[in-house]
Amino acid sequence: MNKKLFRQIRNEWKSNLWLIAELLLISVVMWYILDFIYVKASIFYQPRGFDISHCYLLRMGRLDPKSPKYMAKDTTESEDIRNILTRIRHRPEVEAASLSANSYPYNGSNSSTSIRYDTLQNNNWLIRRLVTPDFLRVFKYEGSRGETPSQLASMMDNKSIMASNNIFKKKYHIKLTTLVGKKVIWGDDTTTRYKLAAAYTPVRYDDYSEAYHSYSMLYKLPEGWYTTDNNLELCIRVKPSMDHDFIKKLWKDCERHINTGNVYITNITSFKDVRKKFQQYQSNQIRNFVTGIIFLLLNIFLGLLGTFWFRTQQRRSEIALQMALGSTRRQIFLRQISEGIIILVLASIPAIIIDLNIAYAGLTQYMHGATLQPGRFIITVSATFLISAIMIIIGDWFPARKATKVQPAEALHED
Amino acid sequence: MRKYIKQIWVHLSHDPLVSSITIIGTALALFLIMLVVMIEQVKYEPFSPESNRDRFMHARFMSVTNAKWGDGSSNGPMSIETAKALYKSLKTPEAVTLYANDNPAVASVAGGTTFVADILQTDADFWKVFDFDFINGAPYGKADFDAGIKEAVIIKSLALRLFGTPDVAGREFMINYTAYKVAGVVKDVSTLASKAYSQIWIPYTCTDVEKNTWSRCGGSFSTTILARRHDDFPKIREEYGKLLALYNKKIGESGWKILSRNRPYIQEKEAFTFSANHEVNMKAKHRDRYIILIILLLVPAINLSSMTQSRLQHRNAEIGVRRSFGCTRREILIDIINENLIITLIAGALGLIMSIAFAYWGTDILFAQPFSNSLSSPTIDTSILLHASTFIYAIVFCFILNLLCSYIPAWRASKTSIINALGGMNH
Repeated sequence: MNKKLFRQIRNEWKSNLWLIAELLLISVVMWYILDFIYVKASIFYQPRGFDISHCYLLRMGRLDPKSPKYMAKDTTESEDIRNILTRIRHRPEVEAASLSANSYPYNGSNSSTSIRYDTLQNNNWLIRRLVTPDFLRVFKYEGSRGETPSQLASMMDNKSIMASNNIFKKKYHIKLTTLVGKKVIWGDDTTTRYKLAAAYTPVRYDDYSEAYHSYSMLYKLPEGWYTTDNNLELCIRVKPSMDHDFIKKLWKDCERHINTGNVYITNITSFKDVRKKFQQYQSNQIRNFVTGIIFLLLNIFLGLLGTFWFRTQQRRSEIALQMALGSTRRQIFLRQISEGIIILVLASIPAIIIDLNIAYAGLTQYMHGATLQPGRFIITVSATFLISAIMIIIGDWFPARKATKVQPAEALHED
Repeated sequence: MRKYIKQIWVHLSHDPLVSSITIIGTALALFLIMLVVMIEQVKYEPFSPESNRDRFMHARFMSVTNAKWGDGSSNGPMSIETAKALYKSLKTPEAVTLYANDNPAVASVAGGTTFVADILQTDADFWKVFDFDFINGAPYGKADFDAGIKEAVIIKSLALRLFGTPDVAGREFMINYTAYKVAGVVKDVSTLASKAYSQIWIPYTCTDVEKNTWSRCGGSFSTTILARRHDDFPKIREEYGKLLALYNKKIGESGWKILSRNRPYIQEKEAFTFSANHEVNMKAKHRDRYIILIILLLVPAINLSSMTQSRLQHRNAEIGVRRSFGCTRREILIDIINENLIITLIAGALGLIMSIAFAYWGTDILFAQPFSNSLSSPTIDTSILLHASTFIYAIVFCFILNLLCSYIPAWRASKTSIINALGGMNH
């Protein structure tokens, strides 16, 4: 039977060639889209290196001197800020609270810096985060030697720095863990040496950036930075069991119990909102792509359905003849579908060669610094084949069923 | 006409599967095309308080460089001095407004709860450039603005939250713990009116925002220019060019220079501008838009044309009979295309209704704005969503889709020779 099928496919090569061309095009487009989704999804689900669940961001401001509440100096601004932090820490629902500058996750304001050790120097965009030790507990940073956030926090002082494990990895293939305890040069100041207190699991810049490309370092927020001019962030982790209406409750208490001196809370945002706002551009882009993909798939499906409908309808008499000669419905059905699959295989071979070239040329999304990765390629190519096969089977199903339902005599009579 | 509709109904019910796929396919294509159109339209079609969008020119940022910097530049909102020298001094436009975006503010009334609200600091001309709907009171005027009197315009929903009633002109409340008098209350504004949008507006003379400066010309201010007529844009640019040259001469003494980057921008270009340090290439943006529309039209058209072909096959005999009674090929061709057009229009109307429903249901998914300062979600109403052009676009796209998917099958059907058609042969 298979031999006959092949011969038949060859005999009808003219119309089959069209179908092969169509499937080839569809298969390449679909592979490209699936590859895009695969990369975006696998980056999205990589470990983030931090945790923002039950976290909130507070901003502080200074009262206008014309405000009736404004008080001429009896405390300094840095004392006021420290007082606010203490008052927030003492709230029963707060697990940890920290101050920082340009440091919280999903933040577009960054300061960059450099780290050198011996002849090693990072050559990438290294983000400097100035934080109080509790920052590590708020966002649950983890040490690369298994240190817990609290252990990491206790290692922080003003003579040492910490950095993500990957800052020398791409250039020198050295994990920073091996250098813990050594003295390094930080920033432009070449006279002072800072102890590398610990290395931590890389902290991703956002959900669409890979850990592979996210480099950062931590230093204790210096005392001199405690002013509202530095636009400091007050980050809070709330105990999960008590995370209900936190923002509302905190606002209620702000005026009487939290604001001190001339410093007041100007804004309270949950990190869920911070994240959404920060990534709106990318999530809009993903939205457009996913809509486009669904639309294309639907159209491809309808198109295949149409094509096979047409083919099977033209073959009504042929099917009837086969039935008259003793073929069962099941046999005819299988024959129709295997014909579709064989044509798909014929189309897939050149399609895979084209895919391979597209990936090799670097026209697809980069992941881990590459566009052509064996595992990823096999997965996306097989998924493409599988989806096309399913669409062909469904597209073949209705017309084939309809054709086999016809009485052979009737169908033969039509010609 | 009735004949057409009757005929269409008979043909559609002949093969329900093919017919429903045709209609679903067409509706789906138009649904998506109209979503793309709507997402674009909210950015530049006029609606209150930005009813004059076709007469707007914007300069959100400025770019400055120094002789010592080489190719480097500093980019962002302007200082008040720069904004006044380059834009506020323009004579050609009807009005020029300067405004400063700020972090959200804390609003409260004595003894009440505290709210966070978006705030915009403006001058008095702001109320001439944008047409707000005042429910109560009036905007702050030039005299009050110059004197730095602490007055505010607030939106209705904030008035309700603060005072429990919208008629609050003259009453007092606190912004960042400083007392302000309510000058007027306006209807809530959608975040889609990205220039005019806020929840509180105050005169910028009330705060020390003017003192915030950097890189000689940088500060907190942006501007919107209202031209007298749409055709005035070249004249305004010409005048702006002179002001820029003058100002550059002045700051040039200490090595500074403003890079114009072809500012100010018209509404459409402004809508695509996200970063301060490079000019948007509108040609590329337009090309992207056309590519998307072509894909959205072509892909379904290819599929639909095979459906049309399949439907026409059943009608070979009919075509043969008509031809043998003297019907010309042209008439058959036009008949088939017309018939198909009616189906396309019906399906297109379905798609348009779907897209409007989706715009209401999925506002946040569809219109969420990147890089916005506000946490508020966009809101839409019919004045924002539906314009005469929306319907024109829908009809035009229906026509194109119809031609694309029916012309070839119709042409082939009309070419079939009479004998073959009567005999039921195809080619």
